[in-house]
Amino acid sequence: MQVYSVPKSIKENSTFTFCPGCDHGVAIKLVAEVLDELNLRENAIAIASSGCSVLLYDFLDVDCIEAPHGRACAVATGVKRAHRALKNDKFVFTYQGDGDFASIGLAESMHSALRGENITAICINNTNYGMTGGQLGPTTVMGQVTATSPLGRNRQYHGFPIKTAEHIALCEGVSFCSRVALYNVKNIINAKAQIKKAFEYQQQGLGFSFVEILSTCPTNWKLSPSEAHKKIEEEISKIYPLGIFKDIKND
Amino acid sequence: MSYIKIDKDKCKSCYLCMETCPKNLIKKSNIIGKTGEYVVEFQDNNNQCLGCTQCAIVCPEIAITEVYR
Amino acid sequence: MSEKQLLKGNIAIAKAALECGCSCYFGYPITPQTEIGEYLSLEMQKRNLAYVCAESEIAAINMALGAASSGAKVMTSSSSCAVALMQEGLSYACSDELPIVLVNVMRAGPGQGYIYPSQGDYNQSTIGGGNGDYQTIVLSPCNVQEVVEMTYKSFYMAQKYRNPVILLVDGLLGQMAEPVNFINNPYEEIDNSSWRLDGAKGRPSREIHSLEPEQNKLNQHILKLSEKYRYIEQNEQDFEEYLCDDADIILTAFGTMARVAKAVCNHFREQGLKYGVFRPKTLYPFPYKRLRELSIKAKLFIDIEMNLGQMLRDIRLGVLSNAQVSFVGKPVGDWLKKEEIISAIENIAKECHASL
Repeated sequence: MQVYSVPKSIKENSTFTFCPGCDHGVAIKLVAEVLDELNLRENAIAIASSGCSVLLYDFLDVDCIEAPHGRACAVATGVKRAHRALKNDKFVFTYQGDGDFASIGLAESMHSALRGENITAICINNTNYGMTGGQLGPTTVMGQVTATSPLGRNRQYHGFPIKTAEHIALCEGVSFCSRVALYNVKNIINAKAQIKKAFEYQQQGLGFSFVEILSTCPTNWKLSPSEAHKKIEEEISKIYPLGIFKDIKND
Repeated sequence: MSYIKIDKDKCKSCYLCMETCPKNLIKKSNIIGKTGEYVVEFQDNNNQCLGCTQCAIVCPEIAITEVYR
Repeated sequence: MSEKQLLKGNIAIAKAALECGCSCYFGYPITPQTEIGEYLSLEMQKRNLAYVCAESEIAAINMALGAASSGAKVMTSSSSCAVALMQEGLSYACSDELPIVLVNVMRAGPGQGYIYPSQGDYNQSTIGGGNGDYQTIVLSPCNVQEVVEMTYKSFYMAQKYRNPVILLVDGLLGQMAEPVNFINNPYEEIDNSSWRLDGAKGRPSREIHSLEPEQNKLNQHILKLSEKYRYIEQNEQDFEEYLCDDADIILTAFGTMARVAKAVCNHFREQGLKYGVFRPKTLYPFPYKRLRELSIKAKLFIDIEMNLGQMLRDIRLGVLSNAQVSFVGKPVGDWLKKEEIISAIENIAKECHASL
């Protein structure tokens, strides 16, 4: 009996263009599996963003529009509202990096969350600007060496990073907000469950749902894929704790 | 009998599957892949594969395309 | 709906947008165009249409971008310094070939400037501040009646050419009330079922993006856009002529300044001088063709603008060396009176008048 196959929402013959061992591939696979399981593929519109996540439309077999850098949640707002005005309800989600969601696009992200736009945002947090070669981003942790913090992130010189999920959870319009990681099978299975919940909350019209995914960037961290996972488990997930920060069904 | 199928063209030699397999059934092959490293292959001479899908779950390339149990 | 109504320009835009099926509006307040958003906020909610008080103009244009991908008719409105914030979105919308109507009710600049009437955004609209080889269509009304007609036309051209259209309105016109014959939308509906994103049901999935890592494909895409712009330039040049047929001296002006130009023209006609007025109605595509024809016979062109000569470049490109070109204008935000223009022209055209 076949117990695993390539998700139907992944384009046939598509090959991920990420670096070896990058968690983006796992994250997109999970999104595709959830789209399959909830039978959303034919009703979904994905919003791609700038950065490593930009080529989403090359991998996911759903209608997709690329947003300018940081504006994915604004574009998603327009897509969702327009279809509602046309008397259709479409499933709309963004797939963004932490730089896109929480730095250049923080205003659009947070205001979509505050308004309670009935969309889902997936944010890949790999603690740096990966596509451009690993510069200091809004989530770069204290002490982390990057291409633009060669001596390590420093409180006086660079200032503090943002804890994205914790901030989004404070917004009244948010239905579900969690942070997950992908460093082992158990966490990947949990991440999928959280993505599924976020998608279901949108289907139920409950408002903005959000999943922040702690991800590796082996190339820019200058670690092997396995070492990078270890870093998430032992360091990053201590600074950005995993868990559900808001669930309007339980709160 | 459980087994997996690996698309060697997709493998980027991150070896996360090798480290994950509880039975150590995934090994480096002698084929050099697109990243210049040896791609993995499935070696299960004693039918030890459980079909647990863990290798497929961790593979970031969806290079493990099918698992049978 | 054909009885005359007394309407302010801004309200006329909002009513005309609803009349031709605009189902999405995204905006952020800025004087002197705020009444558009205020009017639509109630009317669109009553009709269950999409209206978002966006957190910024950047968000507004990107909401418009997303909404346009659905095939809906989309409008946003703003003014000068805030339209500057939308330039990135316009460049994306051009590359993505998405129909968006952007109304710019101009105020004075540069920078924050002030809310005085102005024509300071000719360059911003026709040349643009975004990156890459792109063009937005630009329509310029001169009275409230034309505001209604050009709102219809903006939606039509946006859909027809899958390109953003800027309705460039003088601040004066946005705030001015005039009697309007509120005609029905005369344009046909454009089918967008071949490209809109409405879920990949029974068809392959679609993607809308401007990123293109393959150099050859990127070049092909830009050349395809360019072909569209050339087609628009060939087929959509629009203008109004007033007494140009026998004119020795032609005044050029866009928007409300053309109304003053007509009064100036009449003044000189009464003195037996053969004046005419040429008014571009499409600022892009600019009506070079007709201007060139007129330049064969006319001796002098005098461009009149409520800025320091932003359209002058296009007038010169149209006239070439066939006739003399001169300019009367003031910094943006300073209304040019008929008498001021007449006295400036009497100075400029002294020799020309003597030779006629």
